[in-house]
Amino acid sequence: MALHSAIKGKLISVIGDEDTCVGFLLGGVGEINKNRHPNFMVVDKNTAVSEIEDCFKRFLKRDDIDIILINQTYAELIRHVIDAHTSPVPAVLEIPSKDHPYDASKDSILRRARGMFNPEDLVR
Amino acid sequence: MSTETDRIAAGQLLDSLYLDMFHLIEAHTQSRIDIERTNSSGAILLARTKFQQGGQAISTAQIPTENSAEFNALCRVVSVAEKKWAEISVERHAVDKEKGYMEPLHWFSVLPPLSLRNAMDKFKKCIEIVAESTNVQRELSAVLSGIDRLRRSVALQ
Repeated sequence: MALHSAIKGKLISVIGDEDTCVGFLLGGVGEINKNRHPNFMVVDKNTAVSEIEDCFKRFLKRDDIDIILINQTYAELIRHVIDAHTSPVPAVLEIPSKDHPYDASKDSILRRARGMFNPEDLVR
Repeated sequence: MSTETDRIAAGQLLDSLYLDMFHLIEAHTQSRIDIERTNSSGAILLARTKFQQGGQAISTAQIPTENSAEFNALCRVVSVAEKKWAEISVERHAVDKEKGYMEPLHWFSVLPPLSLRNAMDKFKKCIEIVAESTNVQRELSAVLSGIDRLRRSVALQ
């Protein structure tokens, strides 16, 4: 069954805790393509950092994904990979989770902006 | 003389870009706060649903996995213009089981309670804010790249 042929637009993918994934899937962003690859990953306490990193890299490679949403707490675990991604597509948005409020000082793009004034901040 | 004029022009352009950057940082932070607020409201409604329906009623056990049948996203982002990363907006598709557009509410309950429907509305709103936030973030990224290039060229002069 070729359900995905000629669909206009790109996907929003999610890497997050249970509530974040359930919420955004309720909102209608979830998809499983013909290769049975979902565009979401639920992270729990048993998920290894390498799994998060692999999933993030997989989403980066997919040309049908335009936005990657990732809880900031998990973004912190793979910060080196997120900082290395400078292309505007897909856009990586660090979002807060239920347990961890948004911290502007950790956000990749705001750290880059801060570096415009004090380049030493970027070398940490 | 020409070099001096160029330096002044570059300085003015840099000032203008820095001003844009500050406005965009403000918009970026505001959009993250909006996402956080909407997300929290949705999470509270999900918690209420769990309280009413039982802890396992709303969990990852209900959402599809790699072994589930393929289905399409109801919500996608589309570019407003035909550029590589032009401004985007969210487009929603109507539920149509035959074409693979499933109703996410029905993963959790055949008769979804009001709190779950309200939670869904909150997350739909959150997706709209995410699209706006993406536009701001991309614009900010472009401004930062512009500042970086200009600073390098000024330094070379």
